[in-house]
Amino acid sequence: MKEQAKCLIIIPAYNEAGNLEKVIDNLTANYPQYDYVIVNDGSVDATKKICREHRYQVLHLPVNMGIGGAVQTGYRYALENEYDMAVQIDGDGQHDIAFLEGMIQYMEEEEADCVIGSRFVKKEGFQSSGLRRTGIQFLSILGFILTGVRVRDITSGYRLVNRRFIKSFAQDYPTDYPEPEAMVIVAVQRGKIREYPVVMKERENGKSSITLKKSVYYMVKVTLAMLIRRLSFGVRR
Amino acid sequence: MIPRTLQITLSVAVICYFIIILYYLKRKMLELKYTLVWLITGLIMGTMIYFPQILVRFVRFLGIESNMNGLYILCIAFIIVILMTLTSIVSRQQLKIRTLIQEISMLEKRVRELEDETENVAAEMRCGDE
Repeated sequence: MKEQAKCLIIIPAYNEAGNLEKVIDNLTANYPQYDYVIVNDGSVDATKKICREHRYQVLHLPVNMGIGGAVQTGYRYALENEYDMAVQIDGDGQHDIAFLEGMIQYMEEEEADCVIGSRFVKKEGFQSSGLRRTGIQFLSILGFILTGVRVRDITSGYRLVNRRFIKSFAQDYPTDYPEPEAMVIVAVQRGKIREYPVVMKERENGKSSITLKKSVYYMVKVTLAMLIRRLSFGVRR
Repeated sequence: MIPRTLQITLSVAVICYFIIILYYLKRKMLELKYTLVWLITGLIMGTMIYFPQILVRFVRFLGIESNMNGLYILCIAFIIVILMTLTSIVSRQQLKIRTLIQEISMLEKRVRELEDETENVAAEMRCGDE
C-alpha cells in the first residue's frame, strides 16, 4: 500500500439517506483503491441506520454542525490516520468519483496543494442556473482581487488537498458555506491552487442546501468571510 | 447633591446586587473570571452614589451638558462592552464544542469498530468450542 499515496474521500452527509447508498455502493464496488469516510452531520433521517446496516466507514456527529464542521471532522480524521491526500465530495451524488484519478494525477504533475473540480473549465454537464452563476462569478472575482488567484468554480465542493492543507484545515476551517473562504485560506498561505475540469450532475434526491431565499444571506456572509480572512492574514509578501 | 433618601435606596440596591453576585459565586453558578467585570461595575455604582461629583466632572470632561444624558450614555456604552465580551466568550466556547464533537465522533467510530471486532472474536470462539 505504501508506494501509492493514500487518499481519503470525505463525504459529508446531512439527511442524505436517499442518496448515500448509491454513492457508497458505487464507491466500494468501482473504486476500492480509495478509502472513504462518511461524516454523518447529526442527520435526523435514516442515515445512521443505513450506515449501521451496511457497516459503512462513518463518523457520527452527535449534533448538527453544518457543512464546515462536518468536513473539518473529515480532515481531522485524515490527519489522524496519516493520509497523504484528502478529497471532499458531496453526499448527494453530484460529484463523479471517476474524475478523482485524473485530479490526483493532475495534482502530482502540477505539484499543486489544492485541486478544485471545476464545472466551468470545459463547461460540460450541469452548469447551475444563471443567477447562481453570476453569484459564483462575483465571488470568483472577489477571490482574485483578494488573493491574486482566479478560481472560476469557487463554490465547488469537489476539492482535493495534500497533506499540508489537510493539516491546515484540521486546525482551522470555516463554519458554514466554507468553500470560497477555504480557497482564500489556501491562497493566502501560498498554496498552489489548480482547477480540473469535471462534469457535475444535478442532484438526484433531496434539496440543495442553498435555496434562493438564503442566497442573499449567503452572498453577504461569504463576501464578509472572505474579506475578514484576507484582512486577518495581513500583508505578507 | 443627591437627596439622602435616594442615596439610601440606591445603596440598598447596590448591596442587593452584590449579594446576588456573591450568592451565584458561592453556588458556583458564575465563573470568577467573568464575575470580575460585574464586581467592578458594582464598585463603580457604589462610588457614584456617594461621590456624584466624580461622575459630573467626567461627563463635563466628555463634553456632555446634561448629567442624566451623560449617565445614560455611559451606561449604554458599558452594556455594549459587556455584550461584546459575552459574544466573544460564546464564540470561543463554540469553537471548543466543535472540537469536542469532532473528537467524540472519531472516538465513537473506534469504539464501534472495537465492539464489532470483539463480537467477531467471541463468535469465532463459540464456533471453536462446538
